[in-house]
Amino acid sequence: MSWIPFKIGQPKKQIVPKTVERDFEREYGKLQQLEEQTKRLQKDMKKSTDADLAGVQAAMSKSAVKISLDLLSNPLCEQDQDFLNMVTALDTAMKRMDAFNQEKVNQIQKTVIEPLKKFGSVFPSLNMAVKRREQALQDYRRLQAKVEKYEEKEKTGPVLAKLYQAREELRPVREDFEAKNKQLLDEMPRFYGSRLDYFQPSFESLIRAQVVYYSEMHKIFGDLTQQLDQPGYSDEQRERENEARLSELRALSIVADD
Amino acid sequence: MADPGTDNPSSRSESPSQEGGGSEDKLLLHQRLAIRELIDTEDSYLHLLRLCASDIRSGLQQLPQGDLDILFSNINDIIQVSSRFLRGLQETASQEEEQVQLIGNLFLQFHEEFEQVYKVYCANYDQALLLVNAYRKEPELQQEIQGIIEAVVPQAGPSGLSFVLVIPLQRITKYPLLLQKILENTLPSASAYPVLQRATSALQDVNSNINEYKMRKEVASKYTKVEQLSLRERLARINTHTLSKKTTRLSHMLKQEAGLVPRTEDKEFDGLEERFQWVLLCVTELKSNMAAYLENLEAFLRFRPHECGVDIPGGPAEQYSSLARDLQHEVFMEFQRLEGLVWQPLCSLASVLVGPQNLIKKRQDKLLDFERVEEKLLEAGTITYEEEASRHTYQALNSLLVAELPQLNQLVMQWLGQIVRTFVALQKDLADQALQKAESSMAQLPHQHISEPDFRKLLEDTLDRTSGQLHSFRESLEKALPPTTQPLLPGSERQMQALLSRYGPEKLYQVTSSINGTGTLDLTLLRGQIVALLQNKDTKGNRSRWLVDTGGHRGYVPAGKLQQYHVVPSEKEPRGQVGLLEDSGLLTPEPTQVPVSAAPAVTQVVAAYPFVARSSYEVSLQAGQHVKILEAQDKKGNPEWSLVEVNGQRGYVPSSFLATIPSPAPWGWSLPS
Repeated sequence: MSWIPFKIGQPKKQIVPKTVERDFEREYGKLQQLEEQTKRLQKDMKKSTDADLAGVQAAMSKSAVKISLDLLSNPLCEQDQDFLNMVTALDTAMKRMDAFNQEKVNQIQKTVIEPLKKFGSVFPSLNMAVKRREQALQDYRRLQAKVEKYEEKEKTGPVLAKLYQAREELRPVREDFEAKNKQLLDEMPRFYGSRLDYFQPSFESLIRAQVVYYSEMHKIFGDLTQQLDQPGYSDEQRERENEARLSELRALSIVADD
Repeated sequence: MADPGTDNPSSRSESPSQEGGGSEDKLLLHQRLAIRELIDTEDSYLHLLRLCASDIRSGLQQLPQGDLDILFSNINDIIQVSSRFLRGLQETASQEEEQVQLIGNLFLQFHEEFEQVYKVYCANYDQALLLVNAYRKEPELQQEIQGIIEAVVPQAGPSGLSFVLVIPLQRITKYPLLLQKILENTLPSASAYPVLQRATSALQDVNSNINEYKMRKEVASKYTKVEQLSLRERLARINTHTLSKKTTRLSHMLKQEAGLVPRTEDKEFDGLEERFQWVLLCVTELKSNMAAYLENLEAFLRFRPHECGVDIPGGPAEQYSSLARDLQHEVFMEFQRLEGLVWQPLCSLASVLVGPQNLIKKRQDKLLDFERVEEKLLEAGTITYEEEASRHTYQALNSLLVAELPQLNQLVMQWLGQIVRTFVALQKDLADQALQKAESSMAQLPHQHISEPDFRKLLEDTLDRTSGQLHSFRESLEKALPPTTQPLLPGSERQMQALLSRYGPEKLYQVTSSINGTGTLDLTLLRGQIVALLQNKDTKGNRSRWLVDTGGHRGYVPAGKLQQYHVVPSEKEPRGQVGLLEDSGLLTPEPTQVPVSAAPAVTQVVAAYPFVARSSYEVSLQAGQHVKILEAQDKKGNPEWSLVEVNGQRGYVPSSFLATIPSPAPWGWSLPS
C-alpha cells in the first residue's frame, strides 16, 4: 500500500471512508437546517406573543380596549343613557378579551417558546462537538501523514525509531477521532429524531390555546350582541343602511355637499 | 253684465231698499269676481307651466341636461300639486253658498304642499338665473332660445327665458294677495270668514318660510366649505374691506374678554354647540382608534409562524400548520369586511361633520359683527345697508344651526351606535369562524378528550421529562471524551510499571504539558511523563496543587496539567504485563504466545540520534546503538537525562535521544511488512 510512486503531491489521502464522511455530512446538514428552523420559529413566536406593546397580539388587544375606553370617557355618556349602556357593555367585553389574550400569550410562552429555547440550546454544544471532531480529524490526518512519511523512508535504525514513535502518537489520536465520530454519528440522528416527540406537545398546546381563546371570545361577543339588541343583518343590508344614513345627513343644509 | 242705465234692479229686488244692502251686494260681487280671478288665473298659470315643462324644455334640448335640470328644477312637482289644487278649486264652483268656505279649506289643505314644492324651486331660482345670464352673453345661443320661447309663449317678450322661469315665484306670492282680496270682500260675520283668515295667514307664512329657507340655503352653501386657498390667493384676498372686518371683529372680541361689552349669550345655541363638540370628539377619537386597531391587525397578520414550519411530518405540528393557514387565509380575510362596514362609514361620518364645524366657526365670527352692529344701532339709531346685511347673515346662520344641529347630533349618534354594533357583530363572526376551525383541529389531536387543566398538568410533566432528555443530550455532547493518551517517553516504561505496581492504576496520571516547578517543592516534569498521585491537595488545602511521586522524586505539580492515565498496553507489548493491566479493564488481553523475557527491560531501547559526550558523566552514542537504561532520570530526578549502559560504558545521555523499539527486535532489523 505504501509503494504508489505518485504519492507525493497528491491531495490528502482519504483516511476516513467516503461513505462515513457522507453520512456525517448528511446528518449534520439536517441538524443545521433544523437549527435554523428552530431559531426562526422561536423568533416569530416571540414577536407574535411578546407581552408588552411590541408584541402584535398584545398591541391589537390593547388598541381594541382603547376604542371602548375613549368612548366611555366621552361626556355624551352622562347625557345619553342608551349610549352609556352600550359603551359600558363594550368596554367590559374588551377588557375581558384583553385578559384572556394575556393568558393565551402566557400559555404560549410557557409551553412553546420556553421549550423551543431549550431545544435550541443544544445546538451550540452540538456545534462545538462537531468542531472538536474536525479538530481531531485534522490531528489524525497530520499524524497519519507523518507515519506514512516515515514508512516511505529507508529503514534505518533512527528512522525505525521515529516511525515507532510516530505510530505511538498516532494511535491515541486516531482512536480519539473515531470515538468522536462514532459518538456524533450515533447522537445526531437520535437528536434529530427526538424533535418529533419533543415538539408535538408544544403544537398541541398551541392549538388548544387557540380553542380556549376563541371560545371565550365567542361567548363574550355572543353575549354582547344579545345585549346590544343586534339584529342579524347581512352585509348588503348593512351597506344599504349606511348609504341611507349618509344621504339623510347630506340632506341637511348645514352639511356641505361634495 | 249689469245694465248701465238701470239701478241694478236685480240686486234691489233681492234686498229691501237699504244702502247697506247695496254695499253688501257690492261686496258679494267683488267677492265673486275675486274668486273668479283666482280660479281663472290658476288655470292659465297651470297651462303656462305645462307649456314650459314640455314644449319649451324639449325645444331647448341643445343645452346640456344638467343645465336643463337647474333651469326647470322641480317644475313637474309644482305642476302636479297645482293641477290637483285647480281641480279642487273647480269643484267648489258648483257649491255656491259654501264656495268661500271650501276655498279657504282647500288652501289650508294645500299650504304645506305648496311650501314643500315651492321652496325648492325658489331656492334654486338664483342658480337658474345665473345660467340665463350666461346664455345671454352668447348672442347666437340667446337668439335660438329667444326664438323658441317666442314661438311657444309669445307674451314672454324680450326677457324670454327669465320671464318664463319667474312665473312660479310670482304665483306663490300672489296667493296671499288673492286671498286678501277675497277676505276684504267678505263680511266678518260670514261663517267663512275665520277660515279665510286662517288661510290667508297660512299662505303668508308659507311665503316667509320659503324666504327663510332660501336664505339659509344660501348662507350654508357659502360657508360650509373651507376653500383650499394657497398663500398667494389668501394674500390677494386681503383688501381694506376684509382687513377692517377682521380688525373690528377682533377689537369687539377683546372688548368682550375685557368685560367692556356684554357677550350675547344664547343658551340654546351653546347647549347645542357643546353637544356637537362632544359628538365630534366621539367620532374623531373612534376613527383614529379604529385606524390604530386596523394597523395592528395588519401587523398581526404579517406573522406567519406556520410558514417556517419545523420539518415534522404528521401529528399536531401539521395540524397547527394547517390551522394557522386557515385562520390567516379564510377567517381573517373575512374579517377584512371591517374595512367596508366599519371603517368606510366612519370616514364618511367624519367628513359629514366638517361642514357644520365650519358653520359654527363662521357663526362665531358673524356674531361679533352682529353684536357690534347692535351696539351701533342702540347708539346711532341707524345702520348702513352693509351692516344690515351682516346682521341678517348672522341671524340666518344662527337660526339655521339652531334648527338643524339637534337633528344632526341625533343622526350622527345613531349612526355611530350602528357602526359600533357592526364592529361587535364582526368580532362575533370572527370568533365563531375561528372557533369552528380551531375545534375541528383539536378534534384530531391525541389528547382532545382531556380537559384543559389536566392537559396542562400532563404537558408540564412531559416538558420536564423532555427537558431532562435535552439536558442529557447536551451533556453527552459536551463531555470531553476519554483523553488522548500520549505516548510514553522512552525509558519511562519501566518507571511507569514501577509506579503502577506500587500505587495501582487509579493513581497514575500523565503530564499533559511540561511543568516548570518554581517552588522548592515543585517538580519539573516533561510532557508525557507518568506520575502517581499521593495527595490531591497541598498542605494548605489548595486543591489545584497535587503531591505526586515520579518514582524517584516527590513534589507538587499543578493539577490542571495532569490527566488520568489509562494504562493502555501497546499492541506489541509482551503479554507478561497483561496480568497487572487487567484492572484497567480497557482491553481484553489476547492470549498470544509471545515469548516473555524475564528481564526487567522488556523493550529494546536504541539511540535514535548520535550523541557526543561532553563530560565524564556522559557517554557517547551512535545512532542505532542498543542501549540499556539503568535510570530514566539523573541524580536530581531530572527526566531529561537517562543513565544508560552502552558498549560496556555507563553515562548519561539525553532521554529524548532514545527510542524504544518493539521486542521482536532480537530477530533483527527486518523491514516491517
